[in-house]
Amino acid sequence: MELFNENNKLAAVIHKDHSLLPVINRLGVRLGFGDKTIRNICDENGIDPAFFVEIINVFHYESYFPEQKLMNLSVVYVVDYLIKTHEYYRNYLIPEIDRLLHLFLESCEGQCPESEMILNFYERLQEECLAHFKTEEEEEFPFILALNQVLKGNTDSNEFKDQFSAFKMRNFEEDHGNIDDKMFDLENIIIKYLPPSYNQNIGNSLLSNLFMFEKDLKNHSRIEDNILLPKVDQLIKTLAGHE
Amino acid sequence: MSNYSNKIVIIIHTSEIVLKGMSEILEGSLADEIVALRRIDEIINYSELKGDLIIIASSSELGKNLPFLEQVFQNSTNLKFVSFYTEQPETYSDVAISLNDAPSLICYKINEVFNSAILGDDEADSELTRRELEVLQLITRGLSNKEIADHLYVSIHTVISHRKNISEKTGIKSASGLTMYAILKKIVDVNEINTSDLV
Ligand SMILES: [Fe+2]
Ligand SMILES: [Fe+2]
Repeated sequence: MELFNENNKLAAVIHKDHSLLPVINRLGVRLGFGDKTIRNICDENGIDPAFFVEIINVFHYESYFPEQKLMNLSVVYVVDYLIKTHEYYRNYLIPEIDRLLHLFLESCEGQCPESEMILNFYERLQEECLAHFKTEEEEEFPFILALNQVLKGNTDSNEFKDQFSAFKMRNFEEDHGNIDDKMFDLENIIIKYLPPSYNQNIGNSLLSNLFMFEKDLKNHSRIEDNILLPKVDQLIKTLAGHE
Repeated sequence: MSNYSNKIVIIIHTSEIVLKGMSEILEGSLADEIVALRRIDEIINYSELKGDLIIIASSSELGKNLPFLEQVFQNSTNLKFVSFYTEQPETYSDVAISLNDAPSLICYKINEVFNSAILGDDEADSELTRRELEVLQLITRGLSNKEIADHLYVSIHTVISHRKNISEKTGIKSASGLTMYAILKKIVDVNEINTSDLV
């Protein structure tokens, strides 16, 4: 396994794994980067190259997850990356899956009593995802960022305690597991159990997008479960130690 | 396909009506050769048959003679069994044929078995047992593991282990996904389920 490093040309990295395209977008890079290396591009766009390299490696190599190294990444960067990922899901990937699923279900010839049931299942899943992202953005992420500010000495710790006195950090692993299971179920229902009366090309595009979402979301959840949660514990301990 | 193998169906039944009917229906399947036998021991005359072999017989007949049949056809490429029911089978199954099945469905089922032989997969393991079907039906009614355990007079661990097997066999993990599966596979009637309530 040869990891990507900051001296690689980004175009070569993308040729090796084009599923990284949305990842580099949310890290702040746009297409048209010529023959520049990761380092050049990061310098130009004000991105931390070490952070960039870790994120693409973790995304590309599913078995690569250097927890210690990742724990040392800036919380601000990590949260920013997670929010941008949510935005990508919300503004692009979910609407795209939505569109394809409707097209797919409408393409059914003859009687298709199962269409409505599948749409229903999907809509519930989508609601669950969106609600999950929203809670993270409105509850957990602000808490983590505020906590970080206190430790940096930018906010008074009493002020922080007042603001978050009622806050309880949720363990989002269970949510992640549920969403992941349902994604898998939706894929399998379409692949294994649907009658063959649907447009196959649309079905294939739909499945490609579902697989993409599944992979992306797994990676995203893994960062939250294994980096963000331990990071919060660590910060809380540090804060307690200060007092 | 480079090494195409001969596809043979052997149907064993005491009823001449069943034998004639099945032979005619299976003309429409992938089978290249159809052998109809009144008695299971006549099969010994066909031990030289080679290829993908499906034996159709009543489940009790198959149950009694499984080692014998396997022995006779130990040199055939692939040997599969399909149970034949004169009544609606209690267990839902892709690999059982019933007297009331439409001819197209019978051919479809037989072709599926041939295809799974080609793929060499372990599809035969994907059949749900009767107990698993009961658990699945209770899942579709929205019961929790605890409630299912109480309903079936078994421990919650048993229910969890059934659920695990069901998920492994079907590739479906969530309760709402399993409900969809059960409806698509006609294991439960769609009218019994409130589908707008799939959580
Ligand atoms: Fe998230
Ligand atoms: Fe999450």
